[in-house]
Amino acid sequence: MSNLPEFITIQNVQKYISNRMVLDIDELVVYQSECVVVHGPNGSGKSTLLKILAGLMTPDSGVATTNGVVRPWRQAIREFRANAVYLHQTPYLFDRSVEDNIAYGLRFRNRSQSVLFSEVQSAMEWAGLSHLAKRNARDLSGGEKQRVALTRARILEPKLLLLDEPTAAMDRKSRKQTFSLIRDLASGGNAVYIATHEAADLYQPDRVIQLDYGKLVV
Amino acid sequence: MDGLIGASAEALRLLFTGDREIWEIVAISFSVSFRAIFYIVPLAILSAFALAYGNFPGRRVLITIVNALVALPAVVVGLLLYMLLSSSGPFGGWRLLFTQGAMIIGQMILAFPLLVAMIHVSLQGVDLSAWQTARTLGASIFRAMFTIMREVRFGLIAAIVAGFGRVVSEVGCSIMVGGNILHHTRNIPTAIALETSKGEFEQGIALGAVLITLALALNFAVATVRGRDMARH
Amino acid sequence: MASANHAADGILRLATTTSTENSGLLAKLVPQFSDSRDIPVHVIAVGTGRALNHARNGDVDVVLVHAKNAELDLVNSGYGIERYEVMYNEFVIAGPETDPAEISGLSNLGTAFEKIANSGALFVSRGDDSGTHKKERQIWGEVDIEPNGDWYKEVGLGMGRSLQIADELRAYILTDKGTWLALKRKLSLPVHVQGASDGRNDYGIIAVNPEKHSHVNIEAAEQFIDWIQSDEAKAVISGHKVEGEQLFYVIE
Repeated sequence: MSNLPEFITIQNVQKYISNRMVLDIDELVVYQSECVVVHGPNGSGKSTLLKILAGLMTPDSGVATTNGVVRPWRQAIREFRANAVYLHQTPYLFDRSVEDNIAYGLRFRNRSQSVLFSEVQSAMEWAGLSHLAKRNARDLSGGEKQRVALTRARILEPKLLLLDEPTAAMDRKSRKQTFSLIRDLASGGNAVYIATHEAADLYQPDRVIQLDYGKLVV
Repeated sequence: MDGLIGASAEALRLLFTGDREIWEIVAISFSVSFRAIFYIVPLAILSAFALAYGNFPGRRVLITIVNALVALPAVVVGLLLYMLLSSSGPFGGWRLLFTQGAMIIGQMILAFPLLVAMIHVSLQGVDLSAWQTARTLGASIFRAMFTIMREVRFGLIAAIVAGFGRVVSEVGCSIMVGGNILHHTRNIPTAIALETSKGEFEQGIALGAVLITLALALNFAVATVRGRDMARH
Repeated sequence: MASANHAADGILRLATTTSTENSGLLAKLVPQFSDSRDIPVHVIAVGTGRALNHARNGDVDVVLVHAKNAELDLVNSGYGIERYEVMYNEFVIAGPETDPAEISGLSNLGTAFEKIANSGALFVSRGDDSGTHKKERQIWGEVDIEPNGDWYKEVGLGMGRSLQIADELRAYILTDKGTWLALKRKLSLPVHVQGASDGRNDYGIIAVNPEKHSHVNIEAAEQFIDWIQSDEAKAVISGHKVEGEQLFYVIE
C-alpha cells in the first residue's frame, strides 16, 4: 500500500472502556512520513486510537512492532511516548506566558538557555505568535491557543504528531491559518495523524483511514 | 465573675507585655504544627495525585474513605495513637509518648485526610488533558506532577492553610499524646483547655486571640495573592 | 540492676492530678527538685484514673495522686513498688448561696449528701473517674444512695470546669478545697461543709515497678520520692497558700 519505511505497527489492539469495546484494530502500520486522516463519526474511537498511539492510553490487549522487533505493550509504550506528541481538540495551555508554554517540552531536553531561547523565538515566528510571546496563554482566542499548542508540539520535532479535531470550533480565518500550519508540519518528513469527522480533503492527506464502531473500515 | 471585657483587656496586657510563658506556648504550637504540615504535605500531594489520575481498583472507595476521615475527631486519633505509642503498645519502644514527636505524628494523621481531600478537589478542577499534555510533551511523572501543582497552586496553598488551621487548633490529640507538659508539649489549645479549667480566662482569651490573629493573617495573605493573580487576567 | 534500666533521656515523668497542678503547688515543688538534681521533670496532669493508667502502662515513672484504694491496687498488682504518704488536703461541699438543702455547718459529708439528695437540689458530679469522683461515689455508697435522676448531673470534666458548671446551674458540688479557693473569686458558690470528719483527702506517691516496665527511670523516681518526704519539700508543701489559706498538710 505504501513504499514508505515502517515506523510502528500495532496488531490486535483492543480497548474497553466501562466494559464497552471502543477500539478493535487487527493491524495498523504507521509509516515514517505520511499525512493520514483518521475519519469517522463521533464516538467511533478516533481519540482512543490517537491516545494509544501517543502512549497516553494503554490498550487491554495488543502488540507493537518497532524497528522490526515485536514488543509487549509495556515496553513499546515508552517508544510511543518518546516519539509521539498528542494535541487535544481543546488544547490545554498552562497558566503561564505563550513563550513559556512553547518552551515547556524543550526544558526536559538538554539545551543551553541561549539555544532554547532562539529555538522558541523561531518557532513563534513560524506560527506568527511573536507579538504574543509575553501574554498569558490563557488570555488568547481559540485559534491562537490552537496555534500555540501546534508550535509547542512542533518544536519537539516528534516523529509522530497526533492531532485530535484540530480545527473544530474555530472561525474561518483561524481554520485557514491552522490548515496551512498543519500542511507545513506534514511536509517535514514526520508522520501526522489527524482525527476528524469533517471532510478529509481539507487536510490533503496521503491516505484516509475510516473508523466505525472502533473498527477499521477498508 | 470578671466580664468578657475585663478578661480581654487583661489578655491584651499579657500578650503585649511579652509574658514569656505565653509566647513560649505560642512558639511550641507553631513549631509543632509547622513541622507536622511540612512532613505530611508531600505524602498528601502524592496521594491526591494517585486518587485523581491513578487507575487502580478501589480508587472510588478510597476517595469516599478519605472524605469521611476529614471529620475524624482529634480525640479519637489521640486515643488510637496513645494506645500505639504507650509503653504497653506496639510502638512503645520508640519512647515517643508525651513528646513533641508524638504530637507531630498525631497532627500529621489529622491533617492528612483534609489535605488529600482538598488537593484532590483542586486537581479535579484541572482537566485530565492538562496531565496528558504534560506527559505527551515529555514530562516525567514527577515533572508532570510539578506542572499540575503549579496550575493548581492556589488550591494547594488553600489546602495547606486549611490543614495548618486544623492542626494548630486541635486539642484532643495533643493533650492525649503530648501530655500538656509545660515548656515541652503545652501548645495553645492545650494551654487554653488548662487555663479554662483553672478559671484563668484571661490567659485563655489571650491565647485564643493569637490563634484567631494567625488564622486571619494567613487567610488574608492567601486572598491577597489570589486577588492579585485574578486581577492579572 | 536499676542503673542499667535508666531511662535513655534522663527525664522523670510524673503523672499527677489536675488538682495538684492547678493549685500551683507543683510549680513550686518541681523546679526545686529538678534544679538541685539536674533532673528534668515532665509533669502530666490528668485525672487520677488516667494517671494510674499511665503508671500501669509504663508511660510515666512516678504517680502522685489521691485515691488510696486504687493506689494500693497498683502496688498489689505489681505495677507500683510501694505507696508512700505525702500530704492531704480537704474535700468540701460548695453550693448555692441560698443553700436550699440546708447543709451549712454540718460536720459530715455523708449527712450533707443525704440532705442534698432528699431536697431535690441539683448536684454536679465530676463523672470522670478522677480521685474526687471516686471519693464522691464512696460517700454515696456509705450513705446507701444510688444517685440518679434529673437532679444529678454528671459532667465528665475537670474540677475547675465542673465548679463553673455548678455555679451556672446553682448546684452543689464536692470539690477539693484548693481548686475551689483558686476559683473562689470567679464563682458565687460558697463552701457550706468543711472540716468534715470524712473529708480528708490523702495523696500518695508510687514509683512504677521496673520489673514490669524495664525502661522506667527508677533512679530519678526514687530520688523524687525521697525528696518529697524531705524537710525541704515539707516546708514548701506547708507553706503553699492560695488566697491566703494553707491547702496541703504534710502527713508525718
